[in-house]
Amino acid sequence: MKRSISALAGVVLLAVGLVSCGGDDSANTTNAPSTEVVTSEAPATDAPATDAPAVEGVLNVPADYPTIQEAVDAAVEGDLILIAPGTYNEAVQVKTNNIVIRGVERNSVILDGQFKLDNGIRVVGANGVALENMTAMNYTKNGFFWTGVTGYRGDYLTAWRNGDYGVYVFDSIGGVLDHSYGAGSPDAGVYVGECYPCDSLINHFVSEHNGLGYSGTNSGGNMVIVNSVFRHNRAGVVPNSGSYELCYPERKTTIIGNLVYDNNQPDTPAIDVAILAMGNGILSAGGVQNIIERNRVWNHNKTGIGLVPFLEEDPNDSLPDKSAWDTSCADSKKLMPVQPDGALLWDSQDTTVRNNVLEDNRRADIAVGSAGSDLWTLGNCFEGNTFTTSAPLDLEKLAPCGSPLSKDAGDWTAGDLNVITWLADQATAPPSVDWKTAPLPEMPVLESMPDAATAAAVPASATPPVIDLDAITVPDKID
Amino acid sequence: MTRRTKSLLLAGSLFLFGSCASDSQNTQTHDHSMMPVDAASVMGQPDQPVTGPQGRVGQFVVECPFSHALPDDPIVYPGDAGASHLHVFFGNVTSNADATLDSLLGQGTTCEQQQDTASYWAPALLDNGQLIEPVKSVAYYRAGVGVDPTTVVAFPPGLLMIAGDAMATEAQPTSVVAWSCGSGGMRDELPPSCPEDRGLRIDITFPDCWDGKNLDVDGHRTHMHYSSNGKCPSSHPVSVPQLIFSVAYPVHGDASQLQLASGGLITGHADFINSWDQEKLEEEVALCIGRDIVCGVTSGRISG
Repeated sequence: MKRSISALAGVVLLAVGLVSCGGDDSANTTNAPSTEVVTSEAPATDAPATDAPAVEGVLNVPADYPTIQEAVDAAVEGDLILIAPGTYNEAVQVKTNNIVIRGVERNSVILDGQFKLDNGIRVVGANGVALENMTAMNYTKNGFFWTGVTGYRGDYLTAWRNGDYGVYVFDSIGGVLDHSYGAGSPDAGVYVGECYPCDSLINHFVSEHNGLGYSGTNSGGNMVIVNSVFRHNRAGVVPNSGSYELCYPERKTTIIGNLVYDNNQPDTPAIDVAILAMGNGILSAGGVQNIIERNRVWNHNKTGIGLVPFLEEDPNDSLPDKSAWDTSCADSKKLMPVQPDGALLWDSQDTTVRNNVLEDNRRADIAVGSAGSDLWTLGNCFEGNTFTTSAPLDLEKLAPCGSPLSKDAGDWTAGDLNVITWLADQATAPPSVDWKTAPLPEMPVLESMPDAATAAAVPASATPPVIDLDAITVPDKID
Repeated sequence: MTRRTKSLLLAGSLFLFGSCASDSQNTQTHDHSMMPVDAASVMGQPDQPVTGPQGRVGQFVVECPFSHALPDDPIVYPGDAGASHLHVFFGNVTSNADATLDSLLGQGTTCEQQQDTASYWAPALLDNGQLIEPVKSVAYYRAGVGVDPTTVVAFPPGLLMIAGDAMATEAQPTSVVAWSCGSGGMRDELPPSCPEDRGLRIDITFPDCWDGKNLDVDGHRTHMHYSSNGKCPSSHPVSVPQLIFSVAYPVHGDASQLQLASGGLITGHADFINSWDQEKLEEEVALCIGRDIVCGVTSGRISG
């Protein structure tokens, strides 16, 4: 354990409550955790230039345009829409490529759906749109939403109490979500789905008090989740496969250097899957070829890191052959589905769980399970984790990385995980709480984008910043 | 892209204008005896079942919990409260026998999309004569199969339409009325026995071609038609969204003894009055269907 506990290199996730929340009249309640990730080394590609005062191509709201939507409609590629502090009761639609929409101050530029409007900002098929430095709350669907785009970026966004997702990215490729926050949604605080390869990065995200911390259905391929915090959700990080949407299976998601803890929260809004997955930290549900390394995961009623099947009883297509796992999302959309006779069992396969630090995960710190497949045929491996309990027992001896798994490595049935019982557990789980009224800690005051009033507009690149994954170490606890 | 969208909106508003101008002349008095027994003979039917994973084609989706049940039918028996078999209503909370576009606009809705103040209704599902309160409805708005999505315009305000046949004497095509469990790809003529974790559901596909003139007609059918091979007939030249309306019931196990209030289990049908916030509807049609973008999916959720 000692070996693995070292400070995060470069990007430090600590003492942030003092920095981001302290000394303000809206200081957190005692149970409100520190919520922001402070960094002095934001990736260079993410940081707008600060040396050019914005003049031309800047559309000010409300000075020049009374509403955000009017400014967006007037904008041309390359423009910056700069929003002054205030509350805006708008559902903004964006269909112009390569514009930047930015709040001057994250916590006081508030888009409020008033439980009536659907999405705070929805980017519909417009490429290269960057959303920066603002808050979206009380929307019936999502706080911030990109769909059908190539190139997206969300920086310093706060999504609070929205009816589906906090930050939602669907059928989109090439993007980054950084320094952002999602709380109070029945689905996920942050979601990236239906993309392969996604070429997407989630960095310095804090997701709490949601049904799921992270969800990603049928996403993957350079899909990187790092340096983030997933806590106090029903379940933490839950990528999954399923034929109810396209581009299955979920594969090649890289989850490194995150803090994942206390995901047993009983009083959140929750979709059914969140209730099913409740009490798990990182749960790959039918995902394949994922990499889960150097995360710190603690205090879960079920598993810390679990690789489990996703049972789909009403499928829309048959299971893809392993040879088709590398088919791009674009190509897979051209294939016609073949309706299977019965249910599908999406097994978690070929996933690497290495060098994580786990404690106090009551069913097992690390676990692999199926609902009929022989575990040694699934190719999942476990190595170098700091842990106390596993399911089956002696999992690192049974399923080491780097060599083919063997039925004869030991007793695969001793202490094995019976995920079928989780189906029954749903009946006694605390029911979903209405998202409009579910308890939340006081809204945290979060770090704003530096020089937001003057930084030049940089539309989103379709190439996310490259993260030195090897440099990431297991983060220290922050609570 | 932007230009195309604007012209679409313009086209939509032209149709809107045209239909409003002719509203009073073309909204006929209602006569139940005019209802065709064989709806397919006047409206055609969809080319093929619309199944498969979501996310392939542009769409928007509206989920609306159950609102209320009344023996009313604002289309077939307007102004005649209690004249109809029992219906379950979704969306607009004020809908009843007296519902009109004007009465519905701006009223409350059960839909999570609060600007969808349209009225949707379907026959009640009964167990020994007792109402089975549905969980919710899901309305999928897409281009019809093979239809050029850039040609699709919003329903005109006040459009009335019916899909499926309340007087069917034999099983209807599953491309129009289909039963299933949950949101998967099965489409059966009669309700299957559904497992504990996936409730019974009925899917009804509305026609997606409009005659461009009438908000309603005698018999409530012939102003609408289904597209075929991706085209609308010259008699019904206006492509509108293909509305697939699903009702989810908390029914598991053998459903063969249940009844629809309209008769047997083969009499599935649904009705729709377009009393959306029209500007929002036009925006959703242009952005999501017109640009072929997936603006939302249902994620296999049981509860709203």
